[in-house]
Amino acid sequence: MRVLRAYVAVVDRCNWAIGRVVMFGLFALMGILLWSSISKTFFVPSLWTLEMAQFVMVAYFILGGPYAMQMGSNVRMDLIYGALSPRRKALMDVLTVGFLIFYLGVLLWGGIESTIYSFSFGGERSSSAWRPYLWPIKVTICIGVTLMLLQALSELAKDVLYLATGEPVRHEDEAPGSQALGEKDGGEKERGDAL
Amino acid sequence: MPYELIAILMFSTMMLMLFTGQRVFAAIGFVAVIAAILLWGERGGYDIGFSAIIKVMRWYPLLTLPMFVFMGYVLSESKIADDLYRMFHVWTGGMPGGLAMGTIGLMVLISAMNGLSVAGMAIGATIALPELLKRNYDKLMVTGVIQAGSSLGILVPPSVVLVLYAMIARQPVGQLWLAGAIPGLMMAALFIVYIAIRCRLNPKLGPTLSLEERDQITRAEKMRLLRAGLLPVGIFAVMMVPFVNGWTSLVESSAVGAIAAFLAAVAKRRMTWAVFETSVRQTLGITCMFMWIITAALAFGAVFDGLGAVRAIDDLFTDKLGLNPWVILILMQLSFILMGTFLDDTAMLVIVAPLYVPLVGALGFDLVWYGVLYTITCQIAYMTPPFGYNLFLMRAMAPPEIKLGDIYRSIIPFVFIMILALALVMIFPQIALWLPAQVYGL
Amino acid sequence: APAIVRAQSPIRWRFQTYAGAALGEQVTKPIIDYINAASNGEMEVELYYADQIVPTGELFQALQRGTIDGVHSDDDSMASPTPLRVFGGYFPFATKHILDVPVLFNQYGLAEIWDEEYSKVGVKWLSAAGQDPCNFNTTKEITSVADLEGLRLYTFPTAGRFLSRFGVVPVNIPYEDAEVAVQTGELDGMAWSGITEDYTVGWADVTDYFLTNNISGAWIGSFFVNQERWAELPDHLKQLVMAAIEAGHTYRNQWYWGGEARLRATGDKLALRTVPAAEWAEVENAAKEFWNEIAQEGEVHERIVSIFREYNETINQAGPPYTF
Ligand code: NA
Ligand code: NA
Repeated sequence: MRVLRAYVAVVDRCNWAIGRVVMFGLFALMGILLWSSISKTFFVPSLWTLEMAQFVMVAYFILGGPYAMQMGSNVRMDLIYGALSPRRKALMDVLTVGFLIFYLGVLLWGGIESTIYSFSFGGERSSSAWRPYLWPIKVTICIGVTLMLLQALSELAKDVLYLATGEPVRHEDEAPGSQALGEKDGGEKERGDAL
Repeated sequence: MPYELIAILMFSTMMLMLFTGQRVFAAIGFVAVIAAILLWGERGGYDIGFSAIIKVMRWYPLLTLPMFVFMGYVLSESKIADDLYRMFHVWTGGMPGGLAMGTIGLMVLISAMNGLSVAGMAIGATIALPELLKRNYDKLMVTGVIQAGSSLGILVPPSVVLVLYAMIARQPVGQLWLAGAIPGLMMAALFIVYIAIRCRLNPKLGPTLSLEERDQITRAEKMRLLRAGLLPVGIFAVMMVPFVNGWTSLVESSAVGAIAAFLAAVAKRRMTWAVFETSVRQTLGITCMFMWIITAALAFGAVFDGLGAVRAIDDLFTDKLGLNPWVILILMQLSFILMGTFLDDTAMLVIVAPLYVPLVGALGFDLVWYGVLYTITCQIAYMTPPFGYNLFLMRAMAPPEIKLGDIYRSIIPFVFIMILALALVMIFPQIALWLPAQVYGL
Repeated sequence: APAIVRAQSPIRWRFQTYAGAALGEQVTKPIIDYINAASNGEMEVELYYADQIVPTGELFQALQRGTIDGVHSDDDSMASPTPLRVFGGYFPFATKHILDVPVLFNQYGLAEIWDEEYSKVGVKWLSAAGQDPCNFNTTKEITSVADLEGLRLYTFPTAGRFLSRFGVVPVNIPYEDAEVAVQTGELDGMAWSGITEDYTVGWADVTDYFLTNNISGAWIGSFFVNQERWAELPDHLKQLVMAAIEAGHTYRNQWYWGGEARLRATGDKLALRTVPAAEWAEVENAAKEFWNEIAQEGEVHERIVSIFREYNETINQAGPPYTF
């Protein structure tokens, strides 16, 4: 249990911090697109803006993914799930989080293969006139998916902890009407923040 | 095993897994990679899964998504839309159900500023809804009003859904946007008529503002509030004028719109740190939700495509069954509505649209017109349980007295109105096609 | 007996082409149909269009790993990890006519180089063929070289590198998105094809002008197969696949050759514009410098550039019709 708690604490805090930084990547994206229109109107259009914006966008949602997961942003179909008690929800999640872990694992595997490829044959470059090397974005995706995987395991750990001890670890674990819990593990847990 | 059977198996497994309540992207992605591995070996699995991220990266209109989401949150969190709401409030409050009708008007204006339904939803649920409940409006009716009204965001231009449709159907975005305008206004009018009739029959559903309250508002105040309408007009102009003139591209325009909304909030001194932080954080949350689902759905779509499911269904409809084109079209819309209750529009777009759009084209229907039908179906999908974005947003944002059951029940009449609108546009294609024909001189 | 042959389960290939559905109908599908019909049930090749299974950028890896069994593409846009990358597609002013390509491959030794280089990276190269020239179709009028300045064009990577010398901003997006990108203002047009393709895929509907000057006379596109899948194929089916590809080349040659003439002469969607030949020579001269630079990039590059030079000297001596 202690190990699980420590794992949750470390992973959640780490992903929380990364997410808090990455969420401002929005302004990097905005800046690039703004520069793109300014340069087009007043000077010669830039070669790199659209592709750079695409890289930033991918980094934004892949690296920010774990924090979004902490916030409970990933929607669930809750026709049945929504009616379950917190305990049953936790039980259900323990049973089904394997789907998530498996999917992320396969993504990571593909990411690693593609990243290795991006380093071989003298370095894979994008098919654009700008021709950036592709390994930086592929490495970023691999890191992001790894963090997602760690976060998914942390979610599993939280459910196991809750089922084992009966103590709520997240806000959603509480029975309706019970006392709100502090930010025990650094993540923000308000359901109201979910969307 | 025949491919058709595998396709059906994939689809039903995904449905089953969605019902377990696991995160939607995980359910879709899992089925996609498992199917790819079973069919094409482990290499197929990881290639399909990962390359979907690259597809997402290269699908440039998705860049507009965080921009529109951010804009929506800035407009609602900073409460700069408050004046807009008050404008409708004082002008329409005197009629039975007037505030609800005014809310529809508010939603139309917000829809003209934003390409998604998030902005309308956020403003509706946080500004209009509490106000309406305080005035003793019927909670079922107003909950439905906000969900249905905000879904106009994807039909009234600008619309991200229509851009994504344009890319799949390869139809002109400009024409599609214009085609959505009149059906959007028509649907808003239908909502208003519905509210008027219900409140005429039962005035308790939408009480008028009291005389004292109305007297408090001077004529000068009323005129002053009209100026609030300048904000959406201004933001619409800042986005659309450079776009239409070719000075900015679509994605650049969305960034310009987001910056304009942000600056408007700063100018009105409403951009506090808390507002800023919430908007930035929520934008990350919503964007991640959308992008992860699209990533998983693209992988699913690639496997589905790889099975030749598209060809099998085309074959079934046209050759084997030999149905009349209109019967096929109506069947397709019905199946779309049915699937829309379970899937979100992004998943529908990448999984189902590539299946149906070529068929619609092959049957000889106009694909611009069909884009409008498609979008109205998405609007329905947004609100229908068990799965819909407006549904989730409503649940997350609504005040505590609105229960889940209320939210589910509230949409019923509006779904029927949307189906009516769908039927009208089907029977009278000119509702959609007249405006683009005028502008483009077709 | 045929019955016994049919009783075995067919060899299935997943084949992805660079082209979207409308163009693929002409440039790739006839070959796939030929194989499926002529193999008497021994092969079943399923055709997928641009980006359908994997995005073009990941195509080569997917082919190496066997996620996809066959590919029709040029070396350039599929990001081939070989030195051939810059030459497949539109290498500026390397060819003048569609038949130059098979001649270069079969009579001047490019086929051996291609075969050798792809063997090194684990992919079986089968055949290359010419297609249409690389003209410009744009929303803005081009009547002089200066008009290229600032144009955002959808084009091939190497062609884009070359054109950026004239202020063109090359934009790289998925093939199927290009048409809408003109409408959303991401693009001012394409430097991608001849006029046949502009009309076939719908680009003629979204752009207004067609520039009759080109930067290359014919596209070089190839057919590739995963090495293991090719090795597994019995000899008679290998023959069949090659025959199908050759038949496809013949069909395509005619389709493009006739289409370019007919649509320039009678097409009503694109207005023709021409930069005077004397001025366009500036672009041709820039290509010579570009060739020199590319030749210095490596030994294989040098060999190929010298073959292009040799061939061009020959046709220049021969004169028209080889030089228009
Ligand atoms: Na809109
Ligand atoms: Na739904």
